[in-house]
Amino acid sequence: MRSNRWIFIVIAALAGIGAGLAYGWVVDPVDYFDLTPDTLRADYKADYVLMVAEAFNAQRDPGLAARQLAVFGSQSPTAIAAQGLDFARANGFDATDITLIQELVTALQAWSGLP
Amino acid sequence: MKRIGWGVFFALLSGLGIGLLYAWVFSPLRVVDAAPVALRADFKDQYRSVIAAAFAATGNLERARARLELVGDADSVEALNAQAQRMIASGEIQQADQVAALASALAQGVAVVLPPSPSVEPPPTANTTSPGNDAIPTSTPEEISTATSEVAATQPVILEATPRPTRPPLPTLGTPFTLTGQESVCNSNLPDGLLQVLVLNANRRQLPGMEIRITWDNGEDQFFTGLKPELGNGYADFILAPNVTYTVQLALGSEIATGLTAPTCESPNGPFSGGFKLTFQQP
Repeated sequence: MRSNRWIFIVIAALAGIGAGLAYGWVVDPVDYFDLTPDTLRADYKADYVLMVAEAFNAQRDPGLAARQLAVFGSQSPTAIAAQGLDFARANGFDATDITLIQELVTALQAWSGLP
Repeated sequence: MKRIGWGVFFALLSGLGIGLLYAWVFSPLRVVDAAPVALRADFKDQYRSVIAAAFAATGNLERARARLELVGDADSVEALNAQAQRMIASGEIQQADQVAALASALAQGVAVVLPPSPSVEPPPTANTTSPGNDAIPTSTPEEISTATSEVAATQPVILEATPRPTRPPLPTLGTPFTLTGQESVCNSNLPDGLLQVLVLNANRRQLPGMEIRITWDNGEDQFFTGLKPELGNGYADFILAPNVTYTVQLALGSEIATGLTAPTCESPNGPFSGGFKLTFQQP
């Protein structure tokens, strides 16, 4: 009888932990604010890269484009733009937009001297 | 049996507490796949600035509008105007101009259509969702579709289906402003020699970030609208020295207000220097 009691208690505790984790991770996870751009979803990042590419197409200032892309953190601007290009190609972006991002990648490669 | 019931109950509660503590404090979900609305304020400024730069390059107002919706401002125009003022104050004049121009375009609903490009074709698919979409069942995948491929896909259709409209004038692109009001102000509650300037667009909406040039015999200076938003986005002021005659005009081009000498006003406490109120407006 005594061992049965402890079995029930342990099972209840495990069930409570499971319910707590499910609630805290799935039902009502922690809300985040004040995030940094590196946490953005891939499609938002790609659209940001596209915006930089559109601006670059008019201004032709790779240094400015690099500074705008630097908000994404530790990666090089060229790598960030290249990731945006990959996403754009894989997800059916407009051909004109892909061309703009390609031009940005090429310009950043030439500007930074990195492939 | 009753003791077992209480034991189970407390064990369940304790387990629930431990689970929540672990899920919310010790090991919260790692932040990936965030939306721009969750960015820190300074990064939102950067995001808006890049949106404005892209708009300045492409003139695609609908795309800019869709992107701004992602930032989650209650009033995008107001947010852009406030940001433009902050940027002017920090010396980022060119970017501030782009941000203010986007705000003006949004306020007026002016859609600038790009010339058609021969290489523009609809994409093979319009799917821009990412693998991480399942993790966050929100409306953001639809929003980003609007911001990227849908807008891009419809752009050539618009260009082919309709003739290019005549481009309406934008407020900051050099259209001369007219001096619609010039009045002397004798108000002892205002600072002596206060020159107040109000700059409006054709719809009488106040324009921030407008450079005003003021000259006098031995010098000149410049000041900007929008640095005192509590008095209006299109408001700027300057203190006139006594017995000096000034000339005022907008840097973008406007009629010139000449012969501005602080008037001498009377009050029960004695004479004081009055000021002027000038209003410039786009025709």
